[in-house]
Order: sequence, then C-alpha cells, then structure tokens
Amino acid sequence: MRFALVLMACAVLALGAGCGERKERTGPNGTERLQLMLDFFPNADHTPIYAAQAGGHFKDLGLDVQVRAPADPAAPLRQAAAGRVDLALSYEPEVIRARDKGVDVVAVGALVQQPLTSIISLPDAGIRTPKDLRGKKVGTAGIDYQSAFLQAILQKAGVDPAGVMERNVGFDLNPALLTKKVDATLGSFWNYEGIDLRLKKRNPQVIRVDKAGVPTYDELVFVASSKTVKEKGDAIRGFLGAIARGVRDLRANPKKGLDALLAANRDLDPRLQSEVLKVTLPLYAPPAGRPFGWQEPTEWSAFGKFMRDSGLIQKGAGGAFTNDLLPGGGL
Amino acid sequence: MTTRLEAPVRPRQAEAVAVRGVTRRFGPVTALEGFDLEVRDGEVVAIVGPSGCGKSTLLELIAGIQRPDEGELVVTGSAAYMPQRDLLLPWRDAVGNAALALESAGVPRREARRRAAPMFERLGLGQFEQSRPHELSGGMRQRVAFLRTLLAGRPLLLLDEPFGALDAITRSAMQDWLAGALQAEPRTVLLVTHDVTEALLLADRVVVLSPRPGRVLTELCVDLARPRVRRELVGDPAFAEFERRALEALGC
Amino acid sequence: MLKRYLPTALLLLAAIGAWQAVASLGSVDDLTLASPVETVRALRDDSSLLFDNTLTTLWEVLLGLVIAVALGAGAAVVMHVVRPLRDAAYPLLIASQAVPIVVVAPLLILAFDYGIGPKIAIVALICFFPVTVNLLDGLRGVEPELLKLMRSLGASRLAMLWKVELPWALPNLFSGLRIAATVSVIGAVFGEWAGADNGLGRLVLLGINQLETPRVYAGVVILTVMALALFVLVSLAERAAVPWSRREVRS
Repeated sequence: MRFALVLMACAVLALGAGCGERKERTGPNGTERLQLMLDFFPNADHTPIYAAQAGGHFKDLGLDVQVRAPADPAAPLRQAAAGRVDLALSYEPEVIRARDKGVDVVAVGALVQQPLTSIISLPDAGIRTPKDLRGKKVGTAGIDYQSAFLQAILQKAGVDPAGVMERNVGFDLNPALLTKKVDATLGSFWNYEGIDLRLKKRNPQVIRVDKAGVPTYDELVFVASSKTVKEKGDAIRGFLGAIARGVRDLRANPKKGLDALLAANRDLDPRLQSEVLKVTLPLYAPPAGRPFGWQEPTEWSAFGKFMRDSGLIQKGAGGAFTNDLLPGGGL
Repeated sequence: MTTRLEAPVRPRQAEAVAVRGVTRRFGPVTALEGFDLEVRDGEVVAIVGPSGCGKSTLLELIAGIQRPDEGELVVTGSAAYMPQRDLLLPWRDAVGNAALALESAGVPRREARRRAAPMFERLGLGQFEQSRPHELSGGMRQRVAFLRTLLAGRPLLLLDEPFGALDAITRSAMQDWLAGALQAEPRTVLLVTHDVTEALLLADRVVVLSPRPGRVLTELCVDLARPRVRRELVGDPAFAEFERRALEALGC
Repeated sequence: MLKRYLPTALLLLAAIGAWQAVASLGSVDDLTLASPVETVRALRDDSSLLFDNTLTTLWEVLLGLVIAVALGAGAAVVMHVVRPLRDAAYPLLIASQAVPIVVVAPLLILAFDYGIGPKIAIVALICFFPVTVNLLDGLRGVEPELLKLMRSLGASRLAMLWKVELPWALPNLFSGLRIAATVSVIGAVFGEWAGADNGLGRLVLLGINQLETPRVYAGVVILTVMALALFVLVSLAERAAVPWSRREVRS
C-alpha cells in the first residue's frame, strides 16, 4: 500500500513538472517578456544576442528576453507564426517561401546582411570553381530553394545539371562530406562550417553562393507573426535596439559577448566561436546611413524575382519584410 | 492424545452427498456416465479405480469446481477439496500456505498462522514452518496441502490421493494419524486412492470404479472394527478377504 | 564470480581493441570515428558538461519508468479483471507498440513545449506497453488449478487477485520492466531530439552537428551504461522480490 502511494506521488510530481511551463506576459519588475527562438543550435552567429544580454541592454529597454534553441530547423518559423514564440530567427528565402504558402510571418530586421550559404568541398574532390562540379555528387539537406541555388550556379557556370548528382543527406552535411559520401555539400555556412573544417585542418574549398550566381539576400533575419508585430511593435523595436547596442559592444570588446555565449552553451568550442565571430562581425552592419537591421527593398524584390523564376513561389516578395520596427539611430 | 480438527459435529443420519445419474463429458471423452453415489453424513468412503476412470472428475464435481452435463448433485454443507497436486503458493512459507483456507474464511493472517503452526508438529513437519515450498520434499509439500485442507474446517473432506507422494513409511504414519483424527472428530470423507490397503484402513465403504466411463463396479461395506491397526490387520483373514474382493473387482 | 565474467570481459576487451585498430587506420577520418582513447579523453575533459546533461536525462528516464510501471500495472489489472475490456483493448495495445516513437515525440513536444514533462511522458509511453502486456500475460497464465482451488476455498475475487494472481505474475512484471529499462533511455533521447534545452541526447545531437566526435561517442557510452545499469538494477530487484522459482508449483 505504501508503495502504491509513493508511485502516485511520483506520477503527480512528474505531471506537475511538465505542466509548469506556463507563459507569463510580464517578467520581473514589470519588464515585458519576449521569447526568441534561434534558427538552430546556439553558435557565434548569435553572439549579438548574448552580448545584448550581457550588456544589460534588454533590461534597460524594459525587456526580459528568453532564448530558446530548436531541435528541428523547421520549428522556428512555425512557432513564430503560431505566436508560441514572439520572435524567431530564420532565413530570407525561408520567410519568402513561407509567406507564399500563407504562413503569417514577417521579417522585422536582418541580423546578417549577406548570404552565408556555400558550396564546401575537400581538396580531394578538386572543386575550386563551379565549373569543376561537372560529374560530381553534391549533398544538400533537401531544401528546395537550396536546390534552386545549385541550378542557378550550374547555369551560370555553363555546367549541364544532368551531369551533377544531387543527394539529400539530411542536416548533417559535414559528416557526409567527411565520409566521402558526397564530393561537396551545399547548405553549410562559409563563416561557420567552413572555418570549423579549416581549424580541424581539412583545408576546405569554399564557394559562396552569392559569388557564383545567386542574388544576394539576408541570411539571418528576425521574424514575427503580423499579430505579434501589431501587439508588441514597441517591444520588438526595443529588442532590435538592444541587439544593435550588443553589436556595438562586440566591436569594442568581442571577448565579453563571446564569454556570454560560451557561458550559456558549455558545449561550444571557444576557439572556433572566436574565429567565427571575427569574420561575422562585419556582416551585422547595415548599409551606410541605414539603421541596424535594415532590409534593402531592392535586394528583397530582386531575390523574390529569382525565387519566382526558379518556380519556388507563385507571387513575389511583397510585404515579406518591414523596416518600420528598426531602432531610430543607426550604427 | 486428542487431535482437534475444528469442525462441528453433526447428526449421523443426514445425507451429506447425493450423486444421481451424473454424466460428464470432455469433448469425445466421457469421464462419468449415469453415475450414482450416496454418502451419509460422517461416513468415510474410499473410491478406488484404474487411472482415467473419472475419480478426480467426480471429486471436482462434488467440490463444485465442475458442473455435470447431465444428472444432479446434492451436497449438504461445504466441502474442502484437496487436489492431487499440492498447489502450494511458492511465495508463502509452509505455515502461510497451511493458513490459506483460514484466511479465505476471513481469519486475519496473523491469527490464521497462529492456529496453523501447532499442527506442523503433529504431521511430522516441526522445524519446517518457515520453509518455502521449493525447500520441501514432495511428501512434505503434500502434508502441508493436507493440513491446508483440514484447517478449512469444512464438514466434508474431498481428498484426491492425499498421500500419493509420500514414501511408504510416512504414508502409513499419515494414514494412522488420519484414522485416529477421524475417530476423535468424525467428518464426512470422500477419499480417492490407488492404495487398496489404505482404503480398507480408513473407509467405512469402498467403492470400486470401472475404467472410463466410470461406473460403480462393486461396493464393499468394510465392517472391520475400529480402531484399525495395520500391524494387526495384516494377519486378519477378514481383511484379506476384502482385499481379495477389491483386487478382483479391479481386475488384478 | 570473477571467473564467470572473465570470458565476457575478454570479449569486450577484444572488441575495444578492434575498435581502436579501425579508428587508427589512415583511411578513416577521425572526425567520423573516434577511437576508444579519444572517447576516454572526452569523458575526462568534458566530464562536468557530460555529468550535468546525464543527470537531466537520468531524471527523465527514472520518472518515466516509475509512471509507466504504475500506470501499466494498473491497466493490466483492470484489463485482467474486466474481461470485455481486455478483449477489446488487447489488439490495440499490441498495435500501438508499432507506432514509431520518432513520430509521437515531436507531436508531444509541439503540444507541451520544451519542459521536462514531455520527455517523461515519452519515456512513460515507450515503457508502458512492455510492462502492461507482460503483466497481463502473466495474470492470464496463472495455473488454472490454483484458481480452482482458491475458489473452492471460498476466496473472493479481490483475495484471488491479491493473494494469488499478482504474486504469480510478478516475474512477468519484471520481464516487462527489463525491456522497459532498456528502451527507456532510447525514449528519453528521442524526446530530447524532438526538442530540449539540455540532456545527454541533445548533447549528442549537437556533437554530431559540431563535429565533436569524441564527445558524441562519450555520450553514447554513457547512455549505454545507463541502460545497462537500469537493466541490472531491475534484475537485482527481481532477485530480491521473487526469490522463489515458479517451477515448484508445477510439481
């Protein structure tokens, strides 16, 4: 009988632990709570966020920001659209495609102003330029617009697409490359996986997609549902302002932001993250004279056209982004 | 030395068990056909017969575990049934098993164990009260099962080869003990056995069954005087006569 | 005791030796296969990181198991006593074991977010079925003669259940628990892969992505040891709780 009671107590405890995740609108001291879901596992691309946290900028602007990491890369957009998180990090092509399908998200500010996606290969494969892709196997994560990138690149280089095999290797691109299942991968970031392989002495060959025939776009953007934009516009503006300050802090003292990132994620390799931050720091900067997070309309519509021409979307990129919530002062 | 068996004493004239025209089939096999038997209150009846003649089935029918396909059974009062296999619960010790019937009757466990324990000595199982079934020999287990049956305190005992697993010496000791106990406290007993000597030692009446489907071949009224002492009976010509008739009926 | 496990130990050492040999081959990239030496090094270097995450996963596993046993035992008893319910539900019970947990886990995470609750639920779900089915089979398999005897002694249904059927089926419960113990760890890992902020499964996933191969192997070793330890614990518990051998009743 005692045993049965113990079991019941444990059951109740467990259920209680699970149900405890109630979302509250206000954080301590009346600050407004914002939930941000990153695009993937935390890494040095996200340092501005941790720098903003460490510099107390969120608090100064009356915000309490919770950072979450998804295990499933498709989750952030979904969660933001459903309003389960207030903000998420996503990619410009992802946002445009989602909107075309009717998903209610809007890009509210760009974190990284250039494409990071690249074709990465090891020296043995002998791929120095896109022309060398002829007859090779390219691994992707099965994302449709990345396949479109490949087609555009091959077209520009004058390579017959029929002679290039595309394989879906899931999200573990590097393992597929290292085990030689594919000659090259498309989808890794030149500022992350490229550097990682270089530090591990694999001497990778990197071809950036925007240098090979794909129009430029913003690789990392903050997104929110239009409902959240309407209801929490001010908080979002404060958020972006805090991020901008974080970037400014990083310029002056990169180590502080880096330490904050590493403290929150003990599984990261400090040396790698430091190298990544070094090359990524310039990429946070908006065009001259524009506020932090600026999303260039001409570039967005050019990219939207590219996506339409590739058959990825029906309509254009109209309304996919808004610069209205960007902080007043630029960097 | 008197031995209490904890059963109420009842008047001797009443009928304890009446089996009338009972038929029991298991698919194509007929175990009993048109079987008749009467047992008077306080009578000890031994049922002897070849294997498969339906002896165990008869006991189970009387115990209420099976229902006849035809005919009727009238059993006055409740019965305590002892099956051929000891069926001791392996997770209980010997006393716990013996006390099972008492517990089922509503006696609290501690009290039931307290009542059961003294009987162990008398059945030659002293020292083994706390032993688990797997630590006991087959013969000991059967004695524990027997004790369980007795302690149920029911007026009717249905014993299916209660001493079958015992060696000759222990068996005769148990037979003597049961004879003595029944004399001190009479109960109605239906005893199934292979052992003709055992039947003649204990029973008022010996019923010999035919092979399947079981029917009554012969009934012997054993009017030998009690108490029946094995040593003395061996030389008794009346005993030898009963034995001869029983064996003849069995076809030996 | 030592003598009994000597052959096993030798075999294990041989396997580790083979592993080291393969990993040392020039043709094998050390980022795809970590050697035993590198794995041990990772266990040492990342010990605090591994320890904290192991604790989280262990908590998920243990609570999930406890719930599975409680609910599973309850369900088995109810299904055993209420015969029509058992006939109706048993085939569904078997069929539902076939639903891949990989599909169920993300759904639960979607519904209940990232807390420890969904992970415990996933472990409980994956462990519920072996416990229930095994206990139910044990209850069904009680020696019919025994039940007849109890009935002839006038035992009530509850008494039969408590005194005979449940003790009889206890070894079956432990069989189910042994299976549950080994799959519980897998359940926790799948739950973390569907969405978690920490835990050993998540750490392993991160490690794969970040080419931290020795850490991945270290994590896998710990997970394996966890499952093994649970299995051994259940076996020990069985030895303590079921000291008798079932064979005896069949004499």
